Amino acid sequence: MALTVMGVRAEPLSSADVKSLLGRIRDRRATTPNLQADFQEERKVHLLDEPIASSGKVWFEAPNKFRREIKGNAPSITVSDGQQLWIYYPKFKSAEHYSLAKRSPLDAGITALTAGLSLQNLEANYRVTGTKEGDHIVLELQPRVPSLRRLLQRLEITLDPNLHVIRTNMLQPNGDQIVTTYTNHDHALLAASIFEFNPPPGTQITTPLGK
Amino acid sequence: MQFSKTVARLITERRALMWATVIAIAAGCFATLVTRLRLDTEILDLLPRGFPSVEGLKVYNNEFEQTRELTFALLCQPEDIDKLEEFAPKFVERLHSQPWCVRVLAGSPLETPQGIADLQNIALPLLLNLDPDEFDRAISLLQPQRIQERLQQLRQAIESGSPRPEIELTLDPLGLIMPALKPFAGNAALESDQPLTSPDGTMRLFPVVTNQSSIGAFECQRLMKQVNAFRVSALQDWDGGKLEMLVTGRSAYVSEVSLSMRHDIYVTLLGSVALVGAVFFIGFRRWLPLLAMGFSLLLCCLIALAVGLLIFHQLNMVTVGFCAILVGLGVDFAILIYGRYQQARNEGATHAAAIADSVHHLGRAVFFGALTTAVGFLALVLSNSSGFIQLGVLIAIGISAAGVLMTTIFFLFIPTRTKPRQSDWIFSAVKTYVARMLHRPRSVLAISAPILIILVTIAVLPQIPLTFVANARSMEPKNSRAGRALSLIMEKMPVRWEPVLGIVRASNEQQLHDYWKAIAEHWEQLRKSGTIKSFSTPYALALSPQNIERNRHQLATIDFAASRTALQSALAQNRFSTAAFVSAFQFLDQLRVAAAQDYQIKPWRGELPQSSAWWFLIDRYFGHDPLLTAGFVTTNQPVSTQQQKNALARDLPVAGIPITLSGWSYTLTDLVPWSHRQLLFISALMAIFDASLLALLYRDLRLWLIQVVTLALAIAAMIASMKLLQVPLNLLNVLAFRLVLAIGVDYGIYVLLVWQRSTDIARDLAGVIKPVVLAGLTAIAGFGSLGWAHNPTLSGLGIACALGLFWSLGATIFFTLPAAVAAEPKLSDEGLGKPELQHEHV
Repeated sequence: MALTVMGVRAEPLSSADVKSLLGRIRDRRATTPNLQADFQEERKVHLLDEPIASSGKVWFEAPNKFRREIKGNAPSITVSDGQQLWIYYPKFKSAEHYSLAKRSPLDAGITALTAGLSLQNLEANYRVTGTKEGDHIVLELQPRVPSLRRLLQRLEITLDPNLHVIRTNMLQPNGDQIVTTYTNHDHALLAASIFEFNPPPGTQITTPLGK
Repeated sequence: MQFSKTVARLITERRALMWATVIAIAAGCFATLVTRLRLDTEILDLLPRGFPSVEGLKVYNNEFEQTRELTFALLCQPEDIDKLEEFAPKFVERLHSQPWCVRVLAGSPLETPQGIADLQNIALPLLLNLDPDEFDRAISLLQPQRIQERLQQLRQAIESGSPRPEIELTLDPLGLIMPALKPFAGNAALESDQPLTSPDGTMRLFPVVTNQSSIGAFECQRLMKQVNAFRVSALQDWDGGKLEMLVTGRSAYVSEVSLSMRHDIYVTLLGSVALVGAVFFIGFRRWLPLLAMGFSLLLCCLIALAVGLLIFHQLNMVTVGFCAILVGLGVDFAILIYGRYQQARNEGATHAAAIADSVHHLGRAVFFGALTTAVGFLALVLSNSSGFIQLGVLIAIGISAAGVLMTTIFFLFIPTRTKPRQSDWIFSAVKTYVARMLHRPRSVLAISAPILIILVTIAVLPQIPLTFVANARSMEPKNSRAGRALSLIMEKMPVRWEPVLGIVRASNEQQLHDYWKAIAEHWEQLRKSGTIKSFSTPYALALSPQNIERNRHQLATIDFAASRTALQSALAQNRFSTAAFVSAFQFLDQLRVAAAQDYQIKPWRGELPQSSAWWFLIDRYFGHDPLLTAGFVTTNQPVSTQQQKNALARDLPVAGIPITLSGWSYTLTDLVPWSHRQLLFISALMAIFDASLLALLYRDLRLWLIQVVTLALAIAAMIASMKLLQVPLNLLNVLAFRLVLAIGVDYGIYVLLVWQRSTDIARDLAGVIKPVVLAGLTAIAGFGSLGWAHNPTLSGLGIACALGLFWSLGATIFFTLPAAVAAEPKLSDEGLGKPELQHEHV
């Protein structure tokens, strides 16, 4: 979509092409399940008058482990090992703790959040269409599952010729929009400790969604 | 004039008077039934009175709104989970559109805008209700600096993608509602233990409150008729595989129980009449005596029902079984009396003389038979269960009436002329047996005694267990749809086991608040120590006038203008949208108004719309009387043992606070000792009564001993057969033992009295054994027909009694009699060939 705006012609992909592409992505993920990249993000949130810009680094290991570190004036660290999710605010010495995989609404949120990184189960969870824009491919994902539909209206994923995710654009039903661009992709092995989080001493821990 | 002769004269010479009397009695009974018949379908009335847990269950069932709740469940195939999620809102919409549906719980109320708005509406009284420390901590958030800090933190949380700010700012933009609901937080634990979706996603639950005006049987049937009509169209547009709609709840159960009552009345009564009639006809090959017996038994049933209604004013469902039992028992007298009458006629007596002879010779046996049976059933009064007390009293009345009617009006139907029967294979077989038994009693004992001893061994062997079922399912109708639905729900959601109820009634609002505060603190300690899994109480919703007054004074110290300015400034500084904080400003205004001296706080119940999903939560806690409340404790495991129940009874109460612990599992576990007491103590009392009566009757130690041993052997054989046939004991069919004692003893009395007093042993024994066998078979048939009842309590009782009577009859014929003959030989070998034995009764 962004490339279209820049004057690059968009060619829709046939469903066979999309299927083949998803197959290639699966194969690629099987051989390189790890990813780390820098990111820049712009969020339009209905609770705020202005969009928020942030940047940082993300680490991901298929199928569902990730770590996101936001730098700048309002730093935060988000870590998930697939079972637990921690969000730590160093400035306030406080952390939020969430339990995943209990069919909570948060599960769908995390699925949506990591869809752009994991690129897994896309056909099962989303109706997928694709376009070729120059040497890039843009996949448009519309959720099939009602629990996902409550959180996500549409997700666009832009892939470069090496099948690296370089941009995601997430539109939520409440009007919120998150556009993230990824650079400096690296598929090196990641240490297990990256996806672990131990709150520093003195951290005030809250569990906003209960146990 | 002798009673027997008076009866004979009345029957033969004053028939019009007798008929007029019969018609008058029948008309009186009919009039009573028509004008007073009221049926009680309360299944809890089957449980004994005097147990707080039972009373608690009744209070919760009758005085809490949740009794109008039905649980709908949709169960799909594993591959259709997403389709079910998509279909659920359509189903909820259809439920909403039903005229009988008041509200539906489709998910957490916090997930809907209306649910959040409802909560915000009642936030003020709940905030003011907080204990002083908590309230002061909460309103410290109104300090300008705290407002600024909080919003800055939320802003950062939004930047890091946390879900918290979205939830918090939507529900509680000022940060005061969550503290107000903090005491409510314990409830969240219960809600997560009682989920609405199964872990595998194939089942979704939809609790529905209906508009039922009462929880009576007919009202429940009417509602379930509408619900069943809804079933037809409810699943339209479903395009997946098999989707099952299940419905359970009190109304579903009451409807099924009351309908099964009707089935049970027809099936058991018709079954009993058919079986008993067949046995009688096979025994005597006469239609008119059969008609006489049927008419007399019908009149007995009418009399018992009418008198029962006059005594109890309404009859419980379990009493419907009395007719079938009465038919099975009352027919014994007809068989005995008619057997003797027929014998006398065959020997050449006139109609009147034969009547006088049968009443004269068997009146005493009938009297004692009626007495022991009536006392046996009257002993049900000691069960403390109103349903079984009624059953006992009705049968006692009925059997007494049967004793009178079978020796009087029964003869009105007997023709004055009757042809002797040409052949009677039953009598011939009995004669052959009697002859052999009198000749070689030990050979009979050599077969019967080992069999009985083996059965006694089985009965006492702990390796072959006698199952004792003490759960709610043992009391619900067989093939119950509501029961199956509940069991599938429990299977799919094993964490949904029933919590223990704690019912608390207070005399005023402050006391209620104080009670629950103390209980909640105590239960929290138990939770922390792992004694219980979780709990929920109405503590947060029980308003404390003292706290409210104190907190209102504290509110007056707040500078609301400064808070308002700080909020505006913090919103601007952190670039928050002012539109998202409209409710925060509104709540600030509400707090300012509430601080005024003359402010009257509105009852929070009035602020919630009737359709609010929060009522599902509130109705669990509050009865129709707001001072009657319930709290819930989820145990670590379902309550099933005495040890668990005793531990809960010891741990859950707080000193000085009257609390009634209840719940189905808890109550049924509580009743197990009662049931054992019924089994042992009251059956023992019955045995003592029987033994005393027998001692009085026989005045012969050996005969007395023989019959007491027979009774013990019969009971042991009954237990052994229940073990081998895997017939479980339940809380109520333990009553069968005393009934078997009461009825089984009669067979021995009939036989041994003849043995003791007859001068023509072979003739008289053969004459009595045939009616006793027929009487036993009819009683077995009468009780056995209860096995067809849908009500497992009734069918369990019937099957247990039928087994017990079978062994009582068998032991009487094949053990008591040969043992008596062996102990006191009365007949020489030569005597067996006497001519009178050859021709009598033929």
